[in-house]
Amino acid sequence: MTVRFKIALTIFITGALTALGVIATVLFAFARFEHESAYHRADAFLGRVMANYDNLFEMHERYPEEFGPFLRNLVLFEPDTQLYLLDARGTVLVSTGETKLPPGFKVALTPVLQAAGKAAMPYVLGDDPERMDDDAVIAARAVRRSVIRNDEPVSGYLYVVCHKQVLSEGRGEAFRSAFARPALAFIIGVVLLTTLLAVWIIASVTRPLRQLTEAVSSLSARGLEAGLADAPAAPLPPATRDEFGQLTIAFEMMWATLRKQWAALRRLDHFRREGVSNLSHDLRSPLTATVACLETLDSRWANEPARSDDRALVEMALRNTRNAARLVQSLGDLAQLDEPEFKLRAEGVDAGELLDDIALRFAPRAALQGVRLSARHADDPGATPPFANLDIELFERAIANLLDNALKFCPPGAAITLAAEAADGQVHVSVADTGPGIPAADLPHLFDRFYQSRQSVAPATGEGGKGLGLAIVKRIAELHGGTLAVESTVGVGTRVTLSVPARA
Amino acid sequence: MAPSALTTILVAEDQADIRDLLALNLRSAGYDVTAVADGREALARQTERAHELLILDLMMPGLDGLEVCKALRAKGSATPILMLTAKSTELDRVLGLELGADDYLTKPFSLAELLARVKALLRRADLLRAAQANAQAQPSTIRNGEVELLPQRRQVRVRGESLDFTALEFDLLLHFAQHPGHVFSRSQLLNAVWGYTHDGYEHTVTTHINRLRAKLEADPMRPELILTVRGAGYKMRDAPR
Repeated sequence: MTVRFKIALTIFITGALTALGVIATVLFAFARFEHESAYHRADAFLGRVMANYDNLFEMHERYPEEFGPFLRNLVLFEPDTQLYLLDARGTVLVSTGETKLPPGFKVALTPVLQAAGKAAMPYVLGDDPERMDDDAVIAARAVRRSVIRNDEPVSGYLYVVCHKQVLSEGRGEAFRSAFARPALAFIIGVVLLTTLLAVWIIASVTRPLRQLTEAVSSLSARGLEAGLADAPAAPLPPATRDEFGQLTIAFEMMWATLRKQWAALRRLDHFRREGVSNLSHDLRSPLTATVACLETLDSRWANEPARSDDRALVEMALRNTRNAARLVQSLGDLAQLDEPEFKLRAEGVDAGELLDDIALRFAPRAALQGVRLSARHADDPGATPPFANLDIELFERAIANLLDNALKFCPPGAAITLAAEAADGQVHVSVADTGPGIPAADLPHLFDRFYQSRQSVAPATGEGGKGLGLAIVKRIAELHGGTLAVESTVGVGTRVTLSVPARA
Repeated sequence: MAPSALTTILVAEDQADIRDLLALNLRSAGYDVTAVADGREALARQTERAHELLILDLMMPGLDGLEVCKALRAKGSATPILMLTAKSTELDRVLGLELGADDYLTKPFSLAELLARVKALLRRADLLRAAQANAQAQPSTIRNGEVELLPQRRQVRVRGESLDFTALEFDLLLHFAQHPGHVFSRSQLLNAVWGYTHDGYEHTVTTHINRLRAKLEADPMRPELILTVRGAGYKMRDAPR
């Protein structure tokens, strides 16, 4: 859920709740007003009746037959109103209603006392005997036998009920017609308008934020290399004076800092590569001279049996110097392959044929070690040949390094299989062996520079001997736009797969 | 010809130790060696007396190996040149070979390899001379299907159209064409055509076969002229009768 949506939703809910509150308040006020006016009317009516007839009880006792119609006449012009005569305990004596009440029917006395009391009430709700209701608006007056003496006990009450039915119907009607329809429409309109306005305002407020987000994500999508090279792909929002403007400025500063540091890092990396390259270059001449010296001595003493001890020493020196020379060469080559300016000399070639040739090249060494080395082919002659754009020299070097590594670890009797196959627009070239396998802990670091497994100490042969051969393989795979994958099970074997895009 | 019967070699290398070691070992291998320290002197010595082979260091003060190479080739000299380089960049290799060097060695190299290269270069030069001498003896045209080789003119025609080949590409094709149906491994080809016996340069053969196919085959992905024999090497198809 976006922040914009959340804020808009909040505003909408607030508006809707406010509207509901207003409607509820209006309804409540309307109901109260109706209650009050009904009560007022009923009370005034009772006041008039009491003023004209101060001997209601005598009238009732003397003319019980005529008293009912008399009361009915009194309320003839008071719509929806029923008049009752109660005794002091609330028992209904006479009713103007049409319903026959059971003899001795009582209404609740508390509202009657409230209504008849001296304190002025806004309105009183009490029993409606006609409808078995207990929240009808009522009014009541105490009736005494003698009006002269004030301390005479109350002998009964004159009790008026305003029918609620009429009120509630009227309320609904009135609400719908007179008040509610325009008001409701108005309220809904205001709520909708407020929400739309809010959405628009939020959108315009958050636009710089969105632009910033786009700029940042374009940076992460393109990576530091391309992203920092030039201005952001998405334009930055104008640097206004508000918080967003400050954020923009902060972002621009961060961008500039990143660019500066990236450039510094690149420069440093270049110097490092150049340093390694120069070092490797400068070491070659002395190493060449040393190797040549030792070789000269070695060949000179070849036919002198008396020198055999010296010769063994020279051979040891020669072996070590050659290893050093190989390491220096690998380091220099890796530094060169790392240069961003390095270009492959790629040409379309059948990787399967190349593997055949490499297998042939390594066959004597494998035979010497008692390792079975073979290149596997697709049995299906109609299969797509594994054609890819390869720098033959470098690619052969990568496979040779993998093969050299496999031969280093494979015991006699093991098998190494080379295979190349085209699938899903890729050419997968694999070197699989049935050697001792590589511990899972070593797998992620296998192609790191100078990484040497602690468990297995490899004899220092091949490229650099220690930890550079596979790093070169990785770099060559990267240069070909390919990937490198290793699967290995200890005790079962290892398969390294180099996948490069197939030639279209 | 030179007064001595020994083959003459000129070594130009600015590093005294390496120069002395090269001279020492070449002499004990039976060559007449002249060793100089820079390119200018090498050019002067070669001009006053034509040595049969030159070993030039790429990086030298004054004139460097490439410039010496260029200058000599510009004068029309065909003397084989072996370039020594401390850099193994592709650029150096290409430049070295395109500017007229016949072979190169990357430092640090072993003396055995250097001696083998020297021998191979001299043998190639001999073969070339012999071929030129009895050019008449060679068949004027070798034909295999639509491909026609003219060894005397070092020309290749495909469907009557003349194609450009580098010297090594031509030599490789000629070797195949002279032995149709015969299977060669990469190291055999390296030995026969390039004259190398050392491990680690076989990819050159693959590259060249690949180029031959790109130039000669209708579909290089499914070659019909230069065929692959799985697990053995390459051959040219038998010439259709």
